Amino acid sequence: MTAAVLQNVLASVGGLPSIEFSSVAPSIILALGGVLLLTVVSVTKDKLPVWFPAVWTISAAVAALCTVFRLWIRVGKWGNLSLISGAVGLDRFSLFVIGTLCVSVVMGALLLEGYLRREDLEGPEWYVLLLLAAAGGTTMAAANDLIVLFIGLEILSIAVYILSAMHRRRMSSLESGLKYFIHGAFASAFLLYGIAMVYGATGSTNLARISTFLADNVITQNGLMLGGIALMLVGFAFKVAAVPFHQWAPDVYQGAPTPVSAFMAAAVKTAAFAGMIRVFVLALGPTYRDEWRPMVLALAVLSLLVGSVMALVQTNVKRMLAYSSIGHAGFILVAVHSSTAMGTSAALFYLLSYTFMVMGSFGVVAVVGRKGDGHHQLSDYRGLGRIRPGLALAFTIFLLAQAGVPLTAGFLSKFYVIRSAIDSGDTALGVVAMLAAVIAAFLYLRVIVAMYFEGEPGDEVAPVKVPAAVSVAIGIALAGTLLLGIVPDPVTHAANEATAELVAPRR
Amino acid sequence: MTSSALLPLMILVPFVGAGIVALLPARRTELFRPIALLTSIVVLGMAVFMLVNFKVGDPGYQFESNTTWIKDLGISLHFGVDGISLFLVVLAAGIFPIALLGSNPDHDPKPYYGWLLVLLAGSIGVFCALDLVVFFVFFEIVLVPMYFLIGLWGHGRRVYAATKFFLYTMFGSALMLVGLIALAVLHQKAVGGPLTFDLVTLAREQALSTTASRWIFVAFAVAFAVKVPLFPLHTWLPDAHTEAPTAGSVLLAAVMLKLGTYGFVRFGLDLFPEASVWAAPVMLTLGVVGIVYGAICATMQKDLKRLVAYSSVAHLGFIVLGIFSITTQGIEGGILQMVNHGITTGALFLLVGMVYERRHTREISALSGLQSSAPVMAGVFTLVMLSSIGLPGLNGFVGEFLALLGAFKGARWWGVVAVTGVILAALYLLWAYQRVFHGKAEGENAKMRDLTWSEGAVLAPLLFLIVFLGIYPKVMLDRIEPSVKALVVHIDRNVEGFDAKDVTPKIAPAAKGAEHGGEG
Amino acid sequence: MRVEMFTFLLAGAICLGGALGVVLLKNPVHNALSLVATLFGVAVLFVNQGAYFLAAIQVIVYAGAIVILFLFVIMLLGVDRETDEGREPLVAQRPLAVATGLAILGLSLVALLSAGQRATGDKADLAPLNQPGPDINHLAEVLFTRYVYAFEITAVLLTVAVVGAVVLSKRTNEPLIDLDEFPEGTVVDVRRRADDAKAQDEVDADAEVVAVPDTEGDPQEGGDD
Repeated sequence: MTAAVLQNVLASVGGLPSIEFSSVAPSIILALGGVLLLTVVSVTKDKLPVWFPAVWTISAAVAALCTVFRLWIRVGKWGNLSLISGAVGLDRFSLFVIGTLCVSVVMGALLLEGYLRREDLEGPEWYVLLLLAAAGGTTMAAANDLIVLFIGLEILSIAVYILSAMHRRRMSSLESGLKYFIHGAFASAFLLYGIAMVYGATGSTNLARISTFLADNVITQNGLMLGGIALMLVGFAFKVAAVPFHQWAPDVYQGAPTPVSAFMAAAVKTAAFAGMIRVFVLALGPTYRDEWRPMVLALAVLSLLVGSVMALVQTNVKRMLAYSSIGHAGFILVAVHSSTAMGTSAALFYLLSYTFMVMGSFGVVAVVGRKGDGHHQLSDYRGLGRIRPGLALAFTIFLLAQAGVPLTAGFLSKFYVIRSAIDSGDTALGVVAMLAAVIAAFLYLRVIVAMYFEGEPGDEVAPVKVPAAVSVAIGIALAGTLLLGIVPDPVTHAANEATAELVAPRR
Repeated sequence: MTSSALLPLMILVPFVGAGIVALLPARRTELFRPIALLTSIVVLGMAVFMLVNFKVGDPGYQFESNTTWIKDLGISLHFGVDGISLFLVVLAAGIFPIALLGSNPDHDPKPYYGWLLVLLAGSIGVFCALDLVVFFVFFEIVLVPMYFLIGLWGHGRRVYAATKFFLYTMFGSALMLVGLIALAVLHQKAVGGPLTFDLVTLAREQALSTTASRWIFVAFAVAFAVKVPLFPLHTWLPDAHTEAPTAGSVLLAAVMLKLGTYGFVRFGLDLFPEASVWAAPVMLTLGVVGIVYGAICATMQKDLKRLVAYSSVAHLGFIVLGIFSITTQGIEGGILQMVNHGITTGALFLLVGMVYERRHTREISALSGLQSSAPVMAGVFTLVMLSSIGLPGLNGFVGEFLALLGAFKGARWWGVVAVTGVILAALYLLWAYQRVFHGKAEGENAKMRDLTWSEGAVLAPLLFLIVFLGIYPKVMLDRIEPSVKALVVHIDRNVEGFDAKDVTPKIAPAAKGAEHGGEG
Repeated sequence: MRVEMFTFLLAGAICLGGALGVVLLKNPVHNALSLVATLFGVAVLFVNQGAYFLAAIQVIVYAGAIVILFLFVIMLLGVDRETDEGREPLVAQRPLAVATGLAILGLSLVALLSAGQRATGDKADLAPLNQPGPDINHLAEVLFTRYVYAFEITAVLLTVAVVGAVVLSKRTNEPLIDLDEFPEGTVVDVRRRADDAKAQDEVDADAEVVAVPDTEGDPQEGGDD
């Protein structure tokens, strides 16, 4: 009886969708890693060594990275696919983003390991949330459906809200978590409202269907569509902290535990930009680019200028990095604005480079913050060049890379972005972006001045301990920053190949 | 081929040296100076080898090497030297050992020598890069070591000076980056094929529209004008020069200031012939303003080092004047003057540094009568100063004279005004000399030590060059001329209505091969 | 048609009235009860659209379970009396919020009105829901076919939420060590604080030279600007 009903139902919808688990393997590994870690730790109680959660997390991220490589080859063989009834797009764009996210999980876990020990906050929850957040990010990156994209974004965001508030002994951490939660909830609401409107206008939440629908039909009264585009853009702009939707970023970056700020700057930005590119460049690019490009242009210019200028007046290094990350978001928006395959690869390269640069920077900030995570004034960096020359040199390289000095990843990523802007005819935008980069350079120099030029010998701040795990993370970031600047060929090649495509679902 | 590996090796060796310095423990303070010295002498040896094996009369690039760097962006490590860059490379390689020997850091020798070696690599690279992006990379990378040299080992308001220096240059190069990407992208759109940043290809094909190339020229010109520095953008120079340690000042004068003028020749005239001719009046005016303004400012300085710094502004004005007269003689004069200014001003900065080491002041008013306590130093100073003024028979004269000669042919009225700069140079330098060395020596001034043998040995090669190149500039002109002539022919061919004033030079006997040389 | 319109207007009024109550009433209990009204109004709208299952779920889950939980929490915490937020720290905040809200309302209205009667020429993806038969079946079909992936990953979202709820509600007995607030750690010495204030003045006077030794703490900055 039930079997007959089931048959009947299945016949009416054309059969159950086939679920290709291998195509979402990275997301599954990360999510499962998180859940299993929670289970294992709660079953074994305190019998496990302290380093276990960190090692587990890193292994999960590395395993996910391995599947990314496998899938990369598979896509090369079979082409881009749309799977699980069109909910997941398997293409090299999403794989590149997923790879970037895995890298930031590895570095984030290493930073957390040293940080939690110093702050006496060890516990598996941090790593569980880190892994689940990354799973949300990977889901977003591969989403071919607005609903999936939204849920991915929520998984990522909610996990990061909690992580920001988890240093419970610091008031500012709690404040940061709350602020991020409220702003983020607004952003999600905007995004969801936008999605609903676009659904109303096009009759589908599937990006490929939306794209096809818009290509085949002319919507004569497109108020609904335009409203939806605007609201979705607002939602994404909140998430990437683009001006004027950036107010939360400085407070949240400053208050959150430093490794979490690092993860926020790298992974949340990466995933949100991936979602933005999928929706705007891919689904709406061919038909509605003339409508959304001016809005993105305004966001980009404002972010570049406000981010750089506001960063100059800060004396708190975490706040400075927050504003500078707004400026970097402006740069990536320039790439998004060009709305071409070249712009997409520029954004991808930028995101990977930025992951290394910003993770490294926040890594240094985390150790200089010392116990209590509160020493973040510029004066706390006085004489760092004398007491920890290696650490200071690493920070100098990260900062110069962010300023765009050649032979670092930062230079080539700016190069890529400017090229994509000029290629689509926006030379003026390129000039604005580079001028903003010069303004921002002054801010990075201020930190370098504090580290090397200020104070007399003997006048240094208290010694800084660098845990082994953190030095490994900084080492990875340094290697990434320099290698991407000196021998970028494999990565530029991959970024060029990683153009996304919307494949219509089979049914 | 060994010859094609030469230039990459010259760039690589200092980087390796810097790596060794970085890896040694900081307490082995006695090791760093010999390592740095050895590295720079190896580089100098290679530069001399290059000079000896340079084929006279060939206007094209020699010792070329070309390897792909970033395939997807069409960037390749393309190096090579021609007559225009040859002596600048040799100058850069030659001035480093002298700067190293001529001064000592007062603290932290490890990073000091490390950064100097990075600077050496960058300086060599920037003069032989034939790919726009690679040029840009070195153009920017030299900033970082110089920033630290000024900031860590400088005097007085060193942090302010270093930051100002960094930001000014960064501002210029930001525009240049946009310009060079625009150039490559527009070139690709015009001729098809893969993206390329190769100087030789871009200069040969001249695929851009007039408007586009003028805009891009402006972007490049701003970057170079900051580096030169030309009049409204020059304010970083006195600060940087004054606050830098002696070695930093010497290298700033000898190498870094040449980046701008070299850039104008190599990337201005060669890449944008039409735009260069179009912009020549403005550039000439700025050059002349620099000559007069620099001289007037120098006259008013109270600080000896600042005076020398402003004299650089004036000298570089002559170079710009020569280059934008767009005549063979003018450009040749400009290039000669670049090298000569490096030698002369480098020597002047060394001398000022030696005075400062002894007296711990550079105030002109605090110094007097040094002639009696340090006669040898006074003699050396006289010679160098006369070269800087441009006394015939010394090296300073040749370049200045050729530049003015070119200006009279290509841009008469600017030349007329510029000549006043020669007179003003005599005024400020002689007056300064009079105040510092003449008069009565009292107190500290009377007890000042004279030049030691080792200091004399450091200065000797520079003094030799000052006299030798003044008497016999032909060795340089022979090598410079074919390339310059090819450049002028290239401009003549690509600019309608432009009339090359002198394709047959009159001063020095030309190498015969030049007449059938292409532009490389 | 007229009945539908009448129901729509009534339910809409209930929704809006409830929403206004949530925002405007001062007593938290009244706020929560207003929320029930809003959710109930939405349920009526669902019924109006023929989505009976959703209407039932709306009443049972939202109005029945979630708001009741809210009420429990409010009463357990003992905040069930009128609260006065006092003066607002930023004066322009309220008018600005009103203006922004109106702007968004305007945007939505323009978008909806200019879209005309029919938004698209296409039938929605959820067309199967309008077929005859119990809508619970249709909903299940769509959930387990087209939206199966979204449905499954919602599990991860819930896991995150549960972990977060547990983590954040754990109490910590250790004292606050907020260095942004108390630079010396837990020990807040009155004399020291006075010194800090002096140091802060100096810092304000010359922001470039921050030469306060580490032990005396650093000027507090940010967080509240």
